[in-house]
Amino acid sequence: MLSRIPQLLFYGLVSGSILALGGIGVSLTYSILRFSNFAHGDMMALGAYLTLALIPVAGTLGIPSAAIGPLSFGPRFIVAAVVGMACTFVIVVALDRLIFRRLRKAGRITLMITTIGIALSMRNALQFFWGPQPQYYTARIQLAIQVPRLAIRVKPDQLFVISVAVLLVALLHLFLRYTKTGKAMRATSDNPSLAQVTGINTERIILWTWVIGASLAALAGVLAGVENKFITPELGWQMLLSIFAAVILGGIGNPYGAILGGVIVGVSEEVSTAFISTGYKPAVAFGILVLMLLIRPTGLLGRRS
Amino acid sequence: MELFVGIINYLVFFAITAGTYGVLSLGLNLQWGYTGLFNIGVAAFYAVGAYASALVSGPPPDMWDGRLVGGFELPFILGILAAALAAGIIAFLIGIPTLRLRADYLAIATIGIAETIRMVLKNEAWLTNGVWGLQQLPSPFYDAIHRGATGFVQTHPDLSPWLRALVLKAYNWFYLFLVIAALFLLYLFLRRLAQSPWGRVLRAIREDEVVASMSGKNVFAFKLQALVLGAMIMGIGGAFYAHYARFISPTSFEPFYGTFIVWVMLILGGTGNNKGAILGAFVVWGTWAGTDFITGYLPLSPTQEASLRIIVIGILLVSILLVRPQGLLPEMRQRRRTPRTPE
Amino acid sequence: MSLLTVDQIVSGYGDMEVLHGVDLRVDPGEILTIIGPNGAGKSTLMKTIFGILTPTAGAIAFQDQDITGLSPDRVVRLGLAYVPQVENVFPSMTVRENLEMGAFVLRGDLRERISRVTELFPVLSKRWKTHVGNMSGGERQMVAMGRALMLDPQLLMLDEPSAALAPNLAATVFERIEAINESGLSILIVEQNAKDSLRLSDRGCVLAAGLKCFEDTGPNILANEDIGRLYLGGE
Repeated sequence: MLSRIPQLLFYGLVSGSILALGGIGVSLTYSILRFSNFAHGDMMALGAYLTLALIPVAGTLGIPSAAIGPLSFGPRFIVAAVVGMACTFVIVVALDRLIFRRLRKAGRITLMITTIGIALSMRNALQFFWGPQPQYYTARIQLAIQVPRLAIRVKPDQLFVISVAVLLVALLHLFLRYTKTGKAMRATSDNPSLAQVTGINTERIILWTWVIGASLAALAGVLAGVENKFITPELGWQMLLSIFAAVILGGIGNPYGAILGGVIVGVSEEVSTAFISTGYKPAVAFGILVLMLLIRPTGLLGRRS
Repeated sequence: MELFVGIINYLVFFAITAGTYGVLSLGLNLQWGYTGLFNIGVAAFYAVGAYASALVSGPPPDMWDGRLVGGFELPFILGILAAALAAGIIAFLIGIPTLRLRADYLAIATIGIAETIRMVLKNEAWLTNGVWGLQQLPSPFYDAIHRGATGFVQTHPDLSPWLRALVLKAYNWFYLFLVIAALFLLYLFLRRLAQSPWGRVLRAIREDEVVASMSGKNVFAFKLQALVLGAMIMGIGGAFYAHYARFISPTSFEPFYGTFIVWVMLILGGTGNNKGAILGAFVVWGTWAGTDFITGYLPLSPTQEASLRIIVIGILLVSILLVRPQGLLPEMRQRRRTPRTPE
Repeated sequence: MSLLTVDQIVSGYGDMEVLHGVDLRVDPGEILTIIGPNGAGKSTLMKTIFGILTPTAGAIAFQDQDITGLSPDRVVRLGLAYVPQVENVFPSMTVRENLEMGAFVLRGDLRERISRVTELFPVLSKRWKTHVGNMSGGERQMVAMGRALMLDPQLLMLDEPSAALAPNLAATVFERIEAINESGLSILIVEQNAKDSLRLSDRGCVLAAGLKCFEDTGPNILANEDIGRLYLGGE
């Protein structure tokens, strides 16, 4: 049982990377639009399915599908994923214009209820078009490689998942730290009324928030598909609880906290399978969540509010 | 005539289900409508109520059952009490860590408890029989009424076929009576609560927690009481469901059936209005049933039909929030709400 | 010609009307202090001028341009700067970032502007990388004013700049305000305990119950016994 732990730690790092990418969006939405987006998980699934739909489209454009090196997918899939991310944020921004914008003054809870309605409709739209059964990005089977001296087996795809997550987290950090828009996002999250007073156009910042949050959500969905080898319409909803646990653990509203929380929750969930039934993985996240609410509701990196 | 009897029988069946949802909607109205508690895990309390009642008044495990405990075959009323008690305990436990925090935390924690409970129902077969669920649950007085009805039909062979069909469904009429009686009693109870000083404190908390706490009220205790009482009502709804359906399994308590549709009912009916909560249950369940007829004519697979119907309900919810957020029967306000001066 | 003209403005929050028709004028180069009791509508007036609240009647003009109902991000480009009474900094950002945010609507190099602000508030230059949330109340007030000055505005609006500050810090703040004014900037101050502020003001006016009820030069208001008793805490 204990001998499996190094391997589980590695799996945890993989799923933690995916949770972190999902959590960043939840955290940004929370800090800028000031509500919890319960449709975030389903935005992940949307991105995963749009990518699936775009793979044949990329094929007709002549983008080769041959696998890159040891990975199980090729340029065709990567192009489909990038375009899928863009399509996801276009849809999400359209939903903002159509629905959320009209409810900005209606209060946070109305917005949260709305996100639940959108979540359900979105998930069932995916189910309507693709059915509830699993869909596969690729039929290729990838063998795990034994890492010398460490008691773990690693698939190249999993290393890809971790590297993409690390790369995007680094890019996000540079964006928030050094670009004017990134700073304006932090300012808006810090003090929205003062941000307005300094001349920041809040609507534009909201637009950016959705673009980043939805793109990263779509990417998280695609990477979940790469890691699990299949996608279902429930993919995002099933991860939502873990994502929220990660976000609260790290400190809600703090994107860096979401990253830390994602890794901790991912690792805890995987390591827990050495001791309890796999069916209870999300319950582990729930346990972490409740524990955190009791001990330190502001989260590890949270500010006092 | 046969069609007419068919419709009547269907309407009775429809009203039983809608009425059961009315109980859930009333429970949610106490939590959300009165107190502003953002519970999106209604399914948790609904499921716990249904299973508790089934275990207390249901049959003991048979040879194919995975269960090791439960099935005490106690009377229906004790099942209902057990349902309320079990749901209340869960609500108490979930309220402690969350009710001092912002609404988001209660929302997330209630999603969490609903999912966790569904996992327990699926995985702990010794108690719940896992995914196979609990079967052959007793409906109160079923044997007596059903035997009476069939006996009556047998001793009166000259009955016209449509009257026969109607009499044979006598039990449904009885159960409908039970559900309506429960709804009515709950309605009277909640109306009294709303007008009591306790109910006024709840509304004060909903309007402005800070002001309520400054006037010396223990906001946390009041919120906890409202959460627990609302959950107990939801638990009772679960018991009513279990003893009519006679079969429960984890799929009956998926987020859509267990939580989401209840929210749509309350919001459409009128948040904060008990009559609205009941009306909403009937209207939304009617819409849900109606979409079943309509999608039946479309060239779709069964899963596509189900998805389309859920999308319709989702769009319905968002449309109400955009167009008529106060619902069909808006809350009757005791006094006009004045915004606080930020100065 | 006056810099800012407020004409019969009616404004408030939602259904609640706070200002019932207020007139006001700020001339170029002057300091004007508005005094009045708590709840008189002083902050509401500031927020309405700046476009955070939309007036239901009346007009506001800045440099002969109608700005009634303009959104804050438009108003700020015209040369108005506003320092709210509370929450007037970005606590999780550094001093430098706070100043940069002040010049958000500008493009290009900010170094010259930043050095001008640090000449006025030398303490800030030593604490570039400090998160403002970790600074004292007086330092925060400096950051807030520095942020507002980054745009090189024509008119600086200060909402209770000395509130919640120790007396010696308040004195420093007023000394800075005077220095800013000497560089040619007009300043509109709202104060509840306004003696210090009136002392350096060209003019002052009294706002009570959503109406302007008195206006005079700063020294005259200070000398007025009725106002002293009613609004300045007596002698």
